[in-house]
Amino acid sequence: MKSYVALARSSYMAAMMYRFSFSFTLIGNLLYIALLYYLWGSIYRDVETIRGMSFNQAFVYVALAGAIFTMVKTWADWEISYHIRSGAIIMDLIKPLDFQLYALSRTVGFLFFNVTMIALPSALVLFLLFGANIEVGVGLLFLPAALVLAFLVSFAIDYIIGLTSFYTESIWGISTTKEIITTLLSGALVPLQFFPDVAQRLLRFLPFQAIYHVPLTVLTSPDLGVKDCAALLGTQAAWVLILFVLGRFFFTRASRVLTVSGG
Amino acid sequence: MRSLLRYARLYLLITSQYVKSRMQYRADFLISSVGMAFSSVATVLVFWVLFRSIPDLVGWSFNEILFMYAFYLLSVVPLQLFFDHIWQLRFHVVEGTFIKYYLRPINIMFYYMSDMIDIKGWVKLALGVSMLIYASQRLGLSWNLWRVFLLGIALFSSSLVAISILTIAACATFWIIGSFPVMDLAIKIRDFSPYPMTIFDGFFRFLFTYLIPIGFVAFYPSQLFLRPGEVPVLTYFSPVVGIGSFALAYFVWNRGVNQYTGTGS
Repeated sequence: MKSYVALARSSYMAAMMYRFSFSFTLIGNLLYIALLYYLWGSIYRDVETIRGMSFNQAFVYVALAGAIFTMVKTWADWEISYHIRSGAIIMDLIKPLDFQLYALSRTVGFLFFNVTMIALPSALVLFLLFGANIEVGVGLLFLPAALVLAFLVSFAIDYIIGLTSFYTESIWGISTTKEIITTLLSGALVPLQFFPDVAQRLLRFLPFQAIYHVPLTVLTSPDLGVKDCAALLGTQAAWVLILFVLGRFFFTRASRVLTVSGG
Repeated sequence: MRSLLRYARLYLLITSQYVKSRMQYRADFLISSVGMAFSSVATVLVFWVLFRSIPDLVGWSFNEILFMYAFYLLSVVPLQLFFDHIWQLRFHVVEGTFIKYYLRPINIMFYYMSDMIDIKGWVKLALGVSMLIYASQRLGLSWNLWRVFLLGIALFSSSLVAISILTIAACATFWIIGSFPVMDLAIKIRDFSPYPMTIFDGFFRFLFTYLIPIGFVAFYPSQLFLRPGEVPVLTYFSPVVGIGSFALAYFVWNRGVNQYTGTGS
């Protein structure tokens, strides 16, 4: 456990090196939220509610999706692929550590960095500057847990995608495809409530909504009870379990075909 | 003229080497093409989902937005195909491999950009053309040779704007360590270019018209074809904006290139 904490700490420190990078990401995020404000303002120009969502609810939903985006972006897939191409994967594999947890702890450092430096300030500004006041229910209590689970689901998917680079040379295509599918089908771009009913029902059976839709719903739906929230978090936890096991299984298969060029 | 021919020949030579090396990874090319197609289809799906709930977006219908998006796709094709190496600039600069591009008696920007051609950009071209045709048919727009010629000029101008915005953002790496967020923001902003600029007001409309002219990537020029009866004056400035922003990007690039000192390795 101690070694995993040290890994997380070192990636946090590495991120701190790029202070310009984080301040610019923060500014960029705020600007992006402002643009979303205009876009959704014009979508709601003539109507009060769409699909049961008020402007405030929809705007908070998509704007916070942006903050969650920086939070759940683990880069684990790119990192694994980069290590394979550079040969550094050998050094990873000879460590007496579990490869999945090793990859996870490296991303956790970035997570703390992104949450403290980007996601939280963005959310704060969202409420202060845009006066996005929303009614919250008990869901708020579940939000931290929902976010942690969302991060784990996102990591587990990225990890599996990263492992495909044991087979292919470059993962640009597969990683991009994953990212688009995740953002579209999880409600990160448009709230899931806007989708046709059939699509909505279908999407609830996919892991992607566990990343954005669940935490955002928990926050923006004041009339959710404790039971509803627990059920939502339950599906998240189930996906974490399934995807982690899948990743471990895939790793044992993939590590057999690993070829490293030079050294 | 002679030098233009020489550069064309050089481009073919350098690029064909790159294409040959890429042909080793056929599977990757295929998957990447699928990924590229997915990203465009996803955007259209977002429009479709939105327009299920609203009749129009600040007065523009679904098909008109689709037309603008098709125009946008076509105007980023040259950037995707011929300037994609810009994404690698920060790695070359930080790792010192950028120094290679100083060592040939040819234009550095030309040499750098010709070192890579992103063949999967054909997907954007194909999707852009088909969406443009589909939307035109749905909207009952009439095309003739003159209008196709106009489209060529409009796309040339707007592709220069798209190239310039990303080039300037990428050049941040000459002065700053960890410049990825600058490019990331440029892309995030550019993603708003298929939308009517009239969704913004005041500061942002000014910003996107005159300072970071993403309005000229799709919205202003496409009105020449969408609503020929009510073309705003701004539209006619597209070529000026295009050439002007490219000149600025070239200036920034040269400033960066001239003060770069390598990494010492």
